[in-house]
This record gives sequence, C-alpha cells and structure tokens, in this order.
Amino acid sequence: MELTLQSTRFGALTIAAESVIEFPDGLIGLGGSRYTLLTRDEDSAFVWLHSLDDPELALPVTQPWPFFPDYEVRLSDGESERVGITDPAMADVWVTVRAAPAIEDFTVNLRAPILISEGRGYQVINEADDAPVRVELLSGAAAGEDH
Amino acid sequence: MIGSDVVIQVVEISGNSVRLGIDAPREIGVYREELWEAVKRENAEAASAGPADLPKLPLPPKR
Repeated sequence: MELTLQSTRFGALTIAAESVIEFPDGLIGLGGSRYTLLTRDEDSAFVWLHSLDDPELALPVTQPWPFFPDYEVRLSDGESERVGITDPAMADVWVTVRAAPAIEDFTVNLRAPILISEGRGYQVINEADDAPVRVELLSGAAAGEDH
Repeated sequence: MIGSDVVIQVVEISGNSVRLGIDAPREIGVYREELWEAVKRENAEAASAGPADLPKLPLPPKR
C-alpha cells in the first residue's frame, strides 16, 4: 500500500508503506506522528525527515558520524525505557540540521538526535558529554583533520 | 505530587540554590525545561529550511 502526499516543498510524493516511520511522541515541539526519510539526491549529506501528516513540515537531517567521528549517544534508563532501545547502536541515528546562508554556519543538534529502528522513530535527549544543542556541522570534521 | 505517580521533593536548600528530586515512572521523560526549549527552537529553525537552502554537500569520506 502506498501513501500520497502533496508536499509544499517537493510537490506530489508517493511513499511506500514500508518507508513510513511512526513517531509515537512526535518530534520535540513539532509533533507529527508519521514521518518518512526522503532522499532527494543520493550524493548529498542531507536527507529530509518529512511529516506525512503535515505537508508543510519537513526538516533536513544528516548522519552524525561522518562529520563527528567521536560522537556518542548515551541514553538514560528512563529514555531507553521510553523508546524501547537499550543500545543506540541498534538504531539509525540522525541529527537535525539548521541551514544558514553559508555552509560554514550550518549547525546540527547533537544533544537531541533522532533514533530510528524497525519503523519507529524517537527524538531523544543524549546524555553524552560534549553533545551541544547547536554546533557547526563542519567543526567536527575540521577538528578530525588535525589528528 | 503531579498526577498520581510523579513526586517532586526539595532535596536540599543551600544559599540561594535549591536541589529538587523528581521521582517519576521510567516511561515519563523528565527534562530540564531550558534544554527542552532549546531543542524545540532548533527543530523549528531546522524546519524553516527549504530545498534551496541546502547546498550540495557530499558526506565526508570515512576515516
């Protein structure tokens, strides 16, 4: 079964049922209970997490590790219980991207990553040290080059 | 007490700081409000982007 959506950003979209991700608690402050990951360009670091309930709601996300090789996700016991994921390595991890006019000023949120596993997604609070809410996307990669 | 199963207690008062203990069922997330608000703001700002705001940026190669 497929689902169709008239996205304000991308026009008519057809989403396969297996690509639907349930977010029981929505995204923090944004709500929404069903999303999908839209890849518009295979070569791009950015993917869109697009709401299937609100055609206007979508946010760019990226994978943290290519940019922050030392990134860690640690969940409190309560958070593990809420999301049903004890080991973050079992999930796909994405971080939200805040765009800016210049790529150097793009930031990501390492404190509240999005964990997706078996068709379910949760935005969690990461207890790891050194996980800012806002950090330049390219700062981690640049730091890594010095090693 | 909040609802039937969330208990908030003052653990310690020293000078002008107060430590609170929050006892809640595990499935209820307990978060600092300023962190929650900061995440809300980042989400909202992320969601304000359009396709034209994203330059073509390949993933950095694995090291």
